[in-house]
Amino acid sequence: MSERFRYITLATSLPHLGSLFSQAKVPLSEFRLKQRVKMLSPEHQRLLNRVIEVTAWSGVARFANDQDVIRLARVVIDDLKDNPTLQDLVRARMETRTAIAALRLRHDGQEDAGTISEWGFGRWCRQIETHWTDPGFGLSHFMPWISEANRLIQAGEHIAMERLVLGEVFSQLDHHGAGHDFDFEAIVIYVLRWVIVERWSRYSTDAARERLETLVGDILTPPTAADTARENPRPEEVLS
Amino acid sequence: MNEFVLALGWFGLYAPVALGAIGSAWGCALGGSAAIGAMLDTDGGYGRFIGVSLMPSSQVIYGIVIMFTLQHDAMTAEIGAATFGIGILSGFALLFTGVRQGEVLASAIHASKAKPEIFGVSLAPAAVLEGFSVFALVFALVLAGSIPG
Repeated sequence: MSERFRYITLATSLPHLGSLFSQAKVPLSEFRLKQRVKMLSPEHQRLLNRVIEVTAWSGVARFANDQDVIRLARVVIDDLKDNPTLQDLVRARMETRTAIAALRLRHDGQEDAGTISEWGFGRWCRQIETHWTDPGFGLSHFMPWISEANRLIQAGEHIAMERLVLGEVFSQLDHHGAGHDFDFEAIVIYVLRWVIVERWSRYSTDAARERLETLVGDILTPPTAADTARENPRPEEVLS
Repeated sequence: MNEFVLALGWFGLYAPVALGAIGSAWGCALGGSAAIGAMLDTDGGYGRFIGVSLMPSSQVIYGIVIMFTLQHDAMTAEIGAATFGIGILSGFALLFTGVRQGEVLASAIHASKAKPEIFGVSLAPAAVLEGFSVFALVFALVLAGSIPG
């Protein structure tokens, strides 16, 4: 099967993922996804794994420090020399991570950027360094979401922050995916979207499980006098 | 020189069939690849995916019709020159519309899998391309009628 026909078959065999927060579960299991991407050539399978390694959280979590992640990103970008769209995508993801890392460091009390080359990547490092005290590091024009991210971090709203970041990354994927329908880039972008949707659905499952456990715990715990009074209020308490 | 024009005439006579067949084969392969992929992801409606993927097969049929219309009892230099011009250009038109039709059909199959209700509307671009093929056919027939002899 020629390359082009192979990508058409593969792209149309993958179910539509929909918008990010609209689905309670992933429309395609990990097992099925792995089966489908076997249609890729061995070289493209290797490149796909490299992109996932550097962009997905599960890939970078195994590294002990930021410098290893930055080194890996540079190697992967070099490796993707035939796919400039994917190079841009990896760069954009690393720059987003750098901005979020800067927000978190500042929230943790760091007074300046320090040696930003050790933990930052991309074209905004100098800007972040020189505008450390600015809420959006002077990047609000280029990254409109950064001010909102700063507000959420300051307010300690971690779930809203995660939602904002995942939404932003999803938008980046949409942007890079424009003009790629039936090619390698389209497949990589689909898989990266799948990773995000799967991650969000796992959060939802975990949250639901936690809620269920709390409810079960409440039911199994013997009610106190105060609980009984709350469950069987007097009429005047209901109306008040 | 005369033999060269005659050779071009025969070349032009068969061009609509050959180029139309290439366009149809290419277009059907593009649409068919999409249909096969869609069948992996859906539990029904296989017939309609395969059915629309065969839409580019009309180009080769138009090519055959043009070839028979251009055919004369004897190939002369005058007929050869006219046959070459009409045959080659209509053949390329059929080749191009066939390939492009396959591409838009692949997109239509892909899109309608996510949103089944747009299946009919998503075929409109392919239908427009079919219209262009029909233009190429009809005006090739009109011109073929004005070839002397």
